[in-house]
Amino acid sequence: MILTGPEISREVAAGRIIISPFNDAQVNPNSYNYRLGPLLISVDQSGFRIGRPIDLRMTPVTLEPGRVYLGHTSETIGSSAYVTMLNGRSSIGRLGMFLNFSADLGHLGPSHQWTLEIMVVQPLTVYWNMKIGQATFWRPVGKIEPYLGEYARRNEPTPCICLGRMK
Amino acid sequence: MYLPWQDEMILTGPEIERQVSRGAIVIDPFDRGRLNPNSYNVRLAETIAVYDEYVLDSARENKVSVEKISEEGRLLSRDRIYLGATIETIGSDQFVPIVRARSSTARLGVFVHVTADLVDLGYIGQLTLQLHAVQGARIYAGMEIGQVTFWTTQGDRTLYNGKYQGSIGPIPSKSFLDWKSDS
Repeated sequence: MILTGPEISREVAAGRIIISPFNDAQVNPNSYNYRLGPLLISVDQSGFRIGRPIDLRMTPVTLEPGRVYLGHTSETIGSSAYVTMLNGRSSIGRLGMFLNFSADLGHLGPSHQWTLEIMVVQPLTVYWNMKIGQATFWRPVGKIEPYLGEYARRNEPTPCICLGRMK
Repeated sequence: MYLPWQDEMILTGPEIERQVSRGAIVIDPFDRGRLNPNSYNVRLAETIAVYDEYVLDSARENKVSVEKISEEGRLLSRDRIYLGATIETIGSDQFVPIVRARSSTARLGVFVHVTADLVDLGYIGQLTLQLHAVQGARIYAGMEIGQVTFWTTQGDRTLYNGKYQGSIGPIPSKSFLDWKSDS
């Protein structure tokens, strides 16, 4: 079962969903439009960060096809009551941006700024704080054991943490 | 005994048909031959849109050219995003539609949306498909390219009345309007 927009607003007010900052104007009929946070990194074939993070607050950036970029949400998002999914948004999908490709499912648990996996089909200029994707919330069935892993503590774009373990 | 998942989730094929007949789901034209056990197959309309520029900008209006897919089909190049549309008008005030490729389409390396699969409650129109081919692929007008699923909701409903309402044919991104409506 997917939460409607009014239900998302109600559960944010009740504290069972965290979206911060929260803006009524970003509520859709059955999702919430989240924004692109300030930092963006790209990763190499081994998954390691290339160069320094790009700061979108200074300048917009034109993403290139054939690369994986990691961004993050402006908002702190999460819920221990509802399963969060971070989907793309049709206005941006129509421009050929893949967002969280085939990994749109979040864990029940703590809230944080989520890392976004970004890939483009054609070069695309992106801006800090643009409405880039949609979060949906789903009611689960069963006992809840929240995620307590490493990613939940990270607010900045975070490469694969498998890297350290593989060495 | 109350089982919490009894009233949940994704609609079965027979339930989609039932909700179409009582008007809670719009699928037009509707053909029960395209009904699957838990989704409905949608067909590709004959018009396709391609952006005129290679470099796109989220804050700018990106112009498209619209063309008809010929009898020989349309070869999708792997370095482009194409916008197609469903023949069917789709929507619901009650169940959330979510678009999926058919596995037959995905097996050709063709995406029918690029991670934007969610339709707003209250949207009624032809669905714009975000077409991308990993290796390049040929597609044909009228092919059953995707499927639509329908999901139950929790909470009060407010219906979509946004910039894509009532779409006919492929509609390019209107993201540039975001820059006019807010900071």
